[in-house]
Amino acid sequence: MSNLKTFTPLAWRNLWRNPRRTVITLIVVSVGLWSILFFNSFINAWGESGKEAVLKLLIGQGQIHAVGYMDDPSIDRLMSPPGEPLVSALNAPEIEAWATRLQLPGVVVSEYKTLPVNVVGVDPEAERLLSSIPDKVVEGRYLKGVEDDGVVLGLHIAERLKTGLGRRVILMSQSTDGSLSEQSFDVVGLFDADKATEDFYAFTGRRAAQNFVGLNDEIAQIVFTIPEVDMLDPIIADLAATAPDLDVRSWKQISLFLATTDTFMQSFIYIWLGVVFSLMAIGIVNTQLMAVFERTHEFGQLRALGMKPRQVLVLVALESTFLIGFGVLIGIVLAAGTIWTLTDGVDLSAFAEGLEMAQAGQILYPEYDIPGFVVLSLIIWVLGILVALWPARRASKLSPVEAMRHAT
Amino acid sequence: MGLLAGASVSLIATGPVLAANARSLLEAAFNNWRADSSHAVTEMKIKRSGDTRNLTMESWTQGEDKALVRFTAPARDAGNATLQLGNSTYVFNPKLNQVIKLPASAMTQSWMGSDFSYNDLSRSQKVVDDYTHTLIGTSSNGGKTVNIIESIPKRGKPIVWGKQVISVRSDGVLTKVEYFDQLGVRVRVMTADKIGTLGGRPYPIVMTMKTDAKPGQYTRITTKSAEFNISIPGYVFTQSNLQNPR
Repeated sequence: MSNLKTFTPLAWRNLWRNPRRTVITLIVVSVGLWSILFFNSFINAWGESGKEAVLKLLIGQGQIHAVGYMDDPSIDRLMSPPGEPLVSALNAPEIEAWATRLQLPGVVVSEYKTLPVNVVGVDPEAERLLSSIPDKVVEGRYLKGVEDDGVVLGLHIAERLKTGLGRRVILMSQSTDGSLSEQSFDVVGLFDADKATEDFYAFTGRRAAQNFVGLNDEIAQIVFTIPEVDMLDPIIADLAATAPDLDVRSWKQISLFLATTDTFMQSFIYIWLGVVFSLMAIGIVNTQLMAVFERTHEFGQLRALGMKPRQVLVLVALESTFLIGFGVLIGIVLAAGTIWTLTDGVDLSAFAEGLEMAQAGQILYPEYDIPGFVVLSLIIWVLGILVALWPARRASKLSPVEAMRHAT
Repeated sequence: MGLLAGASVSLIATGPVLAANARSLLEAAFNNWRADSSHAVTEMKIKRSGDTRNLTMESWTQGEDKALVRFTAPARDAGNATLQLGNSTYVFNPKLNQVIKLPASAMTQSWMGSDFSYNDLSRSQKVVDDYTHTLIGTSSNGGKTVNIIESIPKRGKPIVWGKQVISVRSDGVLTKVEYFDQLGVRVRVMTADKIGTLGGRPYPIVMTMKTDAKPGQYTRITTKSAEFNISIPGYVFTQSNLQNPR
C-alpha cells in the first residue's frame, strides 16, 4: 500500500481546504463524544452513590437468613443466633462488621392512626458499625442496648401518626403462638432517612423485640459489610460453605431492584450512545456528502489522471478517519477536563427532595473511567468512519467525463 | 354538651377510697349498658360534610365477649354484619358473599364508615381493668348527680390514649366519654344526648360520637327498642348465622 504514503498528506491537506466544513464536523464529533463520556462518568457516580447510600442504610453487602425466610418473612422461619464456626467466619478480617437482627411485620398504632411497619430488633452496638441509621437520628437518641425497649421511628411516619418524642405508641405483631402481641413502646428517637425507609421500619432493642413476641434468642438475619467490594463473591461462597443449612446472599440477590438499577445504569450509557451517534451520523454524512458534491469536478480530474475508483474511496475514507479521529481526541480532552473540574463533587443538595426518590446521595463524585473512555471513543470513531464510507463510495462511483463537466 | 349546660361542677378531694369508688361506678355503668344479654334495634346516622347516611341495624349481645350486629336498611347496606367472639372479629359482606376474619391490626379502623372503630364495639371491660380511675368532679344531669371520672392507662398497657374522662350518672348511665391524646388534646368525644327508659332501665337512647379534628362530622346512634337479660340461642353467635341468618 505505497499509495497510503501519497494519500495521507493529500487527505490531511484536503481537510483544511475547507476549514469551516471541517470545523463543523469536528464540533459535531467532539461535542457528541464529550456528552457520551461525561454522561458515562456521571451515571456511574450516580449509580455508585445511590447504591452505597442504600446498602449502608440497612442492607449491608450481604445477609444470612434461615432457608425460606426470604420467600416468607414470618415468625415461623427464624434461626438461632450464629454459633461456631459461623462466628469465626464472620469475625474474619475480610468482613468489616456484622450484626444480628430480628424483623417482625406488624403495625404501629397512635391516638390518631394505625400504620403498617416492620419492627426491627437490633443490637445497637453492632448496628453503629454497619448501618447509617444510628447517625441519622435527629431527635432524641438511638437505642442503648439490646434490652432497650424504646422505639426509634422515622420522622415521616411519626408525623403521619401525629406522635412524637417521649410519647407512646402501640406495636402489634404476630407472636410465637399465632396470637396477636401488642405492647406499648416509648418513642425515644426519630431518624431522618428517605421517606420509604422512614415509613417502613421501626427500631427497638433486639432482646426487647424478642420479648415482645415471646421468642427466646431467635433472630431473623445476620447482616454484614465488607471493605473490598470485589471480594464479595468469594466471601459469600465461603460463608455459604461454613453455614450450609442457612441462606447466604449478596445484596444483589436481596435488593433485586438495586441490582437491576445497577445493571440498567451500566447499559444506559449505550442507549445514550445510540441516540447521540444517530445525531452525529446525520451531521457527518450530511457535511461529507456536501463535500463530495462540491468536489465532483476535482474527483473527475483525479480519475482522469489515472486514479482508480478504489483509490478515490480510500482517499475520502482517509479524510474521514483523520477528521473523526481528531474530533474524538478533542472530545476526550473536553470530557477529561470537565470531569477534572468536578472531582470535588457535584453538590446536588438543592435537589435533595427529588434525589431522595431516585435514591442517590446528595454529592456525586464523577471519576475517570479509563476502560470506558477507550471503548466508547473507539466505538464512536469506528462507527463514524463506517457512515462516512457512504459519501466516499459516491465519490468513487463518479464517471470522470461527467464529473469534469460538472461546474464547481 | 347541651344537657350538661348549666350543670354545676365541684371538685372533690381524691383518695384511695374514691379511686376504688370510681372503678366500681364505672363497672356498674358498663354492666348497665351491656347487661348480661341484650337485643336491640338501632339507627345509626353518619354525618359527613355534604353527605348523610342513615342505617338501621339489629344487634344481639351475650356477656362480655359475644356480639352480633346486622344491618337491615338501607337496601344498599342490608345484610352487612359484624360478629365478635372474644378477640376475633368476623365481617360478612353480602356482595362478596364471604366471611372475613379481621386481622387485629384492622380493629382500630372505622366500622362501616362511621366514627366508631371495631374496637369500640367491645372492650368495655378493658377500660375498667387497664386504667386507673380517679373521681375528679361531679355535675348534674336531669336532676341526678353525674360523677366525672378520669381514667389513665396503667403503665405498660397497650393503650394509645393519654386518658379518658368518663361521666357516669348516678343511675349508671354513661353521659359522656372523652378521649385525650398523650399531650392532653381531646381527640374525640361521645355524648349521651337523650337519656330515657328502655327495656325497663335508664339508657342513653341517643349517643353521638364526634372526632374533634373533623368538625361538622359525627355519628349518632339512636336505640329504637331494646330488651335486656333475655335468653339468646347459642346459634346466633356463629359464623354460619353471620352469613345465613335463620
